[in-house]
Amino acid sequence: MNVRLHRLVAQWYSIPLLLALWQIAVSSGLIESRLLPSVATVGGTLVAELADGALLYHTAVTLGRALAGFFLAALIGVPFAAAMARSSLFRNLFEPVFFFGYPVPKIALFPVFTYVFGFGTSSKVAFTFLECLYPIVVTSYFGFRGLDSRLIWVARNFGAGRLTVLRRVIVPAALPAIFSGLRVALPVSLIVVVLTEMIGDSIGLGYYITVWGTRFAFQNVYAAIVVIGACGFALDQALLVLRRRIVHWQKEPPR
Amino acid sequence: MSARSAAIQKWIIPLVVLAAWEASGRAGALPRYLSYPSVILAALWEAAADGELAQAVLASVYRVSAGFVLGTAAGLIVGVSAGLARGVRNFFDPLVSALFAVPKIAFLPVFLLLFGLGHASKIAIVGFSSFFPVFIASRHAVLSVDKTLLWAARNMGTPPRTMFFRVVIPAAAPQLLAGVRIGLAHAFVVLFAAELIGSHAGLTNLITEGENAARFDLMLAGIVAFAMLGFASDRLLLALRRRVLKGQLVGTEEQSAP
Repeated sequence: MNVRLHRLVAQWYSIPLLLALWQIAVSSGLIESRLLPSVATVGGTLVAELADGALLYHTAVTLGRALAGFFLAALIGVPFAAAMARSSLFRNLFEPVFFFGYPVPKIALFPVFTYVFGFGTSSKVAFTFLECLYPIVVTSYFGFRGLDSRLIWVARNFGAGRLTVLRRVIVPAALPAIFSGLRVALPVSLIVVVLTEMIGDSIGLGYYITVWGTRFAFQNVYAAIVVIGACGFALDQALLVLRRRIVHWQKEPPR
Repeated sequence: MSARSAAIQKWIIPLVVLAAWEASGRAGALPRYLSYPSVILAALWEAAADGELAQAVLASVYRVSAGFVLGTAAGLIVGVSAGLARGVRNFFDPLVSALFAVPKIAFLPVFLLLFGLGHASKIAIVGFSSFFPVFIASRHAVLSVDKTLLWAARNMGTPPRTMFFRVVIPAAAPQLLAGVRIGLAHAFVVLFAAELIGSHAGLTNLITEGENAARFDLMLAGIVAFAMLGFASDRLLLALRRRVLKGQLVGTEEQSAP
């Protein structure tokens, strides 16, 4: 018990330590509290804004957009990757789009998205979809490609039809890769939504940050950052739980 | 299927999209904000001719390279130390995992107040956001160096310095560089958003100027220039990587890849 406590302290002391230093620095007047409001102030603001519902509302907007874009990308991207891996025509057609498009900073296209889809939710969801699509397609593509062909031969030899092979051999074999693609894309979705909301919107956590930032109310900015961090953590954990249930035969890779 | 028809198929989508864009743009079937390729190229040429493009590119390149180099250096140093020393790891792990899912751009208001609207705030936020992926990859890379290599070297009496430079770093190099590449991608995304939100120079400025003057060809020229810049830097990094990893890529699929 003592050993476990000791290890817990050794592994987690830095966060409380820095928070304490922060609090001391601010309350002793070493740092101007306008730029860095004390931990207590941020905590108070966080609780007040959550209770008020304002922060909850903006969080719900941001999460909704991020998840909509993410799920769209997953629903379209995974079958797309499978098609690219299984058909050479498909692969030749779309490979350049994905492999040359991958390193292009797609954020540059966001102004065009606002013209096509307007300033509201639809441009954010469409852009999140695009940003998530790349990691999902590319990672699952390698999953579908890296398949051991003998598995398919064996299944076919035993008389499995095309659909059975797909459902019972190909998809399970590619699932670990699919999940690592999803795990890359999920935080991307959150990041991209906040980012685009900061560029221009009137709702969402990104908007919340810019608007309170320009009013120099940094306790609100930090409160929003805490909420985003918590959301990211919760989403990642949820995906890991799902992965453990679906890909129960393989341990998840460490981050 | 022959290699030639495969090569032809690879060009179909890019060419068809470009041709359709150009044709429907010329026919006036597209909304004005989409413009079309030949006009965009002309605008790019125009901006290049009067020096506006060079100025914008210089400002953006200066910001992204300074920030990226600083953030990557910090990420490599701290990440490698975290991989080597448990104390460093224990200190940084909770902080990094707490901040991992937070878009670093969320700190932009703070950086703007600290460093002003000029270059410094962009450099700082670009460095800040490229630090994280580089840290995570280097920490992991050093930790996952094959223990047999370390034991073998130690058994032969290798001094710690040689151990570090000749065993640990070369063994970790592929993963280190993978982290650097992710860091570069983050750098460009954050640069774009930071320039768009608070800036008076850089490629994004070209985009907003074109937008404000309803010169959509100029706006799209800026977008194309930014995308090309990001793409070219990634290719540069990959070329560098191939040089550094020359010996390690032998026998892998990548050796023959373009």
